[in-house]
Amino acid sequence: MTTPDPTVTDTTLTVTTPGDRVIHIERIFDAPLDRVWAAHSEPDLLARWWGRGNRLDIEKFEFERGGHWRFVEHADGETHGFEGRFREITPKERIVQTFEWDGMPGYVSIDTATFVDLGDGRTKIVTESLFHTTDERDGMLQSGMESGLSASYVALDRLLAA
Amino acid sequence: MRPRVLTPPFPGATLNQMVQYSDLDSTFAALADPTRRGILEHLTNGPASISDLAARFEMSLPGITKHIRLLEEAGLVLTEKKGRVRYCTLGANPLDHEAAWIRGHRKSIEDRMDRLAAFLDETKEPS
Repeated sequence: MTTPDPTVTDTTLTVTTPGDRVIHIERIFDAPLDRVWAAHSEPDLLARWWGRGNRLDIEKFEFERGGHWRFVEHADGETHGFEGRFREITPKERIVQTFEWDGMPGYVSIDTATFVDLGDGRTKIVTESLFHTTDERDGMLQSGMESGLSASYVALDRLLAA
Repeated sequence: MRPRVLTPPFPGATLNQMVQYSDLDSTFAALADPTRRGILEHLTNGPASISDLAARFEMSLPGITKHIRLLEEAGLVLTEKKGRVRYCTLGANPLDHEAAWIRGHRKSIEDRMDRLAAFLDETKEPS
């Protein structure tokens, strides 16, 4: 586990988009796997970082396969609700969950967090978000509008790069 | 410690903008024509005047203007008059919602990872 990974340096974040439907983020934390896992599996601990510095209410946290989670983040006098279901929980290895923001109902991503014990007291988290593209976009794919589609993709690429 | 930055879940987009993604009829209508798709593709290279577009697509000014208007109504193209020339650029379109969604989610994850790192530091047991 000590072989250097060329794509990751200490504590840095690497973000790649292998396809336009996946976000891949890796980050190394200077903490052992047990503590990193606890920060994800214990709601009291989760509430202290998940809100990104904002107050977070954990309304539901059924930490089991099929379990429902719902968090409400308070920022700038507004509330933002997030929710989903756990699809897979493998202790100290993997959490797969659906993710949806109240502000865009029906836009669901599937988020996978993989925990890697680096064996030196540090832990790597690899997150992958898979975005279900919407019907309108798939519809465009199927309607054979090659030039229109490529124009849209160029525009989308530009937006994503911004 | 990092300064706490309040970041809305989807930066750069208001809730209203985000939920108005359902009106796709005009988009489909606008895209259902090879000339209009050609115009869009051409505009990915940068802005063009309406007369440039008319020449490029071998159309009359009224003809190209009609296409531009449909694209404009669908939010796919923006036009702006500079002096006596009207320029077209790519506009916001429904794909923006997907882009905002993906971009916003990525930002959220990055922010969360930052906070997790800070949290793990703060709660570190003295060794």
